[in-house]
Amino acid sequence: MTAWAQVRALLGLRWQMVRSPSTRLVIRLAALLLVYLLVLAARSAGLYEKAALETAVKLAPQAFLGFGVLAVVAPLTAGGGNELFPPDQLVAYPIRARTHFLGGLLLAPVNLVWVLQIFALVAETAYLTAGGDAVLGAATTMAFILALTVTGQALAWTVAGLRQTRGGRRVVLGLGVAVLLAALVVVRTDSLNTLLDHAPTRVVVDGVLAGAHERWGEWATITSVLLVLLLAGLAVGARACNWALRRPGDAGAVREARPVNRRPAQASALRELISVDRASVWRAPALRRGGLVLAVLPGVAAAGAALPWESIIVMPGLVAAGAGLLFGVNAFCLDGSGAVWLASLPHDPGLVIRAKTVVLTETVLAAVTVAAVAGSLRSPGSPTAAELGAIVAGGLSCTAFVVCSCLSMSVRHPHKADLRGPRDAVAPPGALALASLQLALPAGLIGLVFEGTASSGVWWLPVILGLLALAGAGSWARASWAAYDNPGRRAGIVQVVAAG
Amino acid sequence: MPVDPATSPTALAPVMLAQDLVVDFGDVRAVSGFDLSVAAGASVALVGRNGAGKSTTMRVLAGVLPPTSGSVHVGGVDYAVDPGGARALVGYCPDVGGLIPRATPWEHLQLAASLRGLGSWEDRARELLDRFDLSAAANRVTSGFSHGMGRRLSVVLAAFHRPALMLLDEPFDGVDPLGVDATLQVIQELRDDGTAVLVSTHLLHLAVDACEEAVVLRGGRVVAAAPAVDLSGDAGRDRYRSLIA
Repeated sequence: MTAWAQVRALLGLRWQMVRSPSTRLVIRLAALLLVYLLVLAARSAGLYEKAALETAVKLAPQAFLGFGVLAVVAPLTAGGGNELFPPDQLVAYPIRARTHFLGGLLLAPVNLVWVLQIFALVAETAYLTAGGDAVLGAATTMAFILALTVTGQALAWTVAGLRQTRGGRRVVLGLGVAVLLAALVVVRTDSLNTLLDHAPTRVVVDGVLAGAHERWGEWATITSVLLVLLLAGLAVGARACNWALRRPGDAGAVREARPVNRRPAQASALRELISVDRASVWRAPALRRGGLVLAVLPGVAAAGAALPWESIIVMPGLVAAGAGLLFGVNAFCLDGSGAVWLASLPHDPGLVIRAKTVVLTETVLAAVTVAAVAGSLRSPGSPTAAELGAIVAGGLSCTAFVVCSCLSMSVRHPHKADLRGPRDAVAPPGALALASLQLALPAGLIGLVFEGTASSGVWWLPVILGLLALAGAGSWARASWAAYDNPGRRAGIVQVVAAG
Repeated sequence: MPVDPATSPTALAPVMLAQDLVVDFGDVRAVSGFDLSVAAGASVALVGRNGAGKSTTMRVLAGVLPPTSGSVHVGGVDYAVDPGGARALVGYCPDVGGLIPRATPWEHLQLAASLRGLGSWEDRARELLDRFDLSAAANRVTSGFSHGMGRRLSVVLAAFHRPALMLLDEPFDGVDPLGVDATLQVIQELRDDGTAVLVSTHLLHLAVDACEEAVVLRGGRVVAAAPAVDLSGDAGRDRYRSLIA
């Protein structure tokens, strides 16, 4: 059976596992809506004035570069790429490494940030090719998207393979520190704009323009290079994936066999539960890596761009949404099969969900705080009182929204998740994509609302709005706690997260 | 051999009394009119085929899963009235896993002690970990444990607080002979102290070793009850096969 046939079979099985007809209908409608919106984006060039189009064209290399960075970072943070099924569910089947690689590639678009970047690139291509041959330009953009996605996955599998051994992990850590230091140097020397002016993606934009204006030779050369990169990425990526999956590793064994420091007993049952949940988060490789990336990357990027204060107001919402996706959307999975044992202990069940609420809140708040502080380090001038109020109140409101939304999802739609390996996710890919939409869009809107209050110049307006948001969040959280208090609901959650 | 809780040999001063338990999962009836009483110091084996409803019954008896109908009393406390009070009297070893993956055995014991309000529990914890050969792994996360190690720790957690009712679901599954001996020893010690023990297992010879009575489940209901020794030997095995077929 070829790798493609195996991927088809696994996709078919994944689709069969979507039991509810209404969920299937929603997925089909969402796919159609996505295509429709992409068509609208492709036709958006006619909506803008010439000056606006020129600005958009000027920003095209940065937009293409942004996608390139995402295409590399996303699979790196996923430990090599997302998986159609957790590895322990496939051990009995002769699944090829190439199948894992292709599955990861097909799942790349099941990611809200990836989709948003695609919208940006489609729109940019429409602006670049306005009045010319859109088909040839779009072909170059398509080749770029595919080549970078495949290359990013190939690189991520190579890193995953390297990280299998202690020496490899040191090499990867060294490279990571070097990249971080280089980013800090760029930020400190104010050379980001100079670097962006020389972004390699200028060549890709030239290719799109060449296609639009029928400069055949230039278009064919650039597009061919991208296609060669794509083919090379496919070949190298499959081999890297095979190497990473088959390389005898010491990472998992070392981590799980290593004793951890014994901590003193806590003063109350709630604190004991919080300690166990906190340890469950930081001892899971995927959650630890995701948390660090979330805390560092947005802040460094924002600092590099020297974002104005009004943009800093919007940032916490998006970071909070990302932090919620770490484990919050399926918070009870932290207990794993231990949920059954835990449920048999004499305790107020409310303690369990309160402990999860505390750990989730501190995780989201920490990510938001680090990102906001790091991001504002190089913001020009000082913030007004209204801007400062909006940053603090907006950050807290977004945190509260994400925490409450995650609690609600955890109680209503639990999933089984082991979180043992570096590529394990807290929920199936489709559920995670839906959750990211449910978190990121409202959290982004909340950020925009607070940005609006800051522009009013009235400092107490964001504060009042923040207090109202927190009061609303309190009611929402209590509703989730009340739902969890129902023994039938609680037993259902335990059955799902502890399924053998 | 239908079972009448009122006339069952274990019916005197029952620590656990389950009456007419029914558990439905949608259209599927997993447990259908289950009755059982277990007296202090008694030990009962729950046996039957896969899907007979043993683990579901154990989850109900542990207070993890609310029954669709029927009642469970532990030490005279009704789960429906005071679930926390009933759970305080129970020690439960679930059928699969039953351990928080990224917590250590010591952290499990710490959490159990805190939620059960135990004082001076450390010596008992160390003694049990030692007996089950888990002392060296006390500070390792359980996700790295073998299946047998996990089973042994689950028995430790069930026996930790010297419960009035101990529920062991497949405690011998994948456990080495020394671990089996330790489990049998703990069962006997707790029984001597008045603990009622219910053991669900597919390993008939160990059910006979661990328990004095056996209850056979089929299709979610009790179809027979007998002294466990009646299920030993070739004749006992044949009898058991005829009951579950």
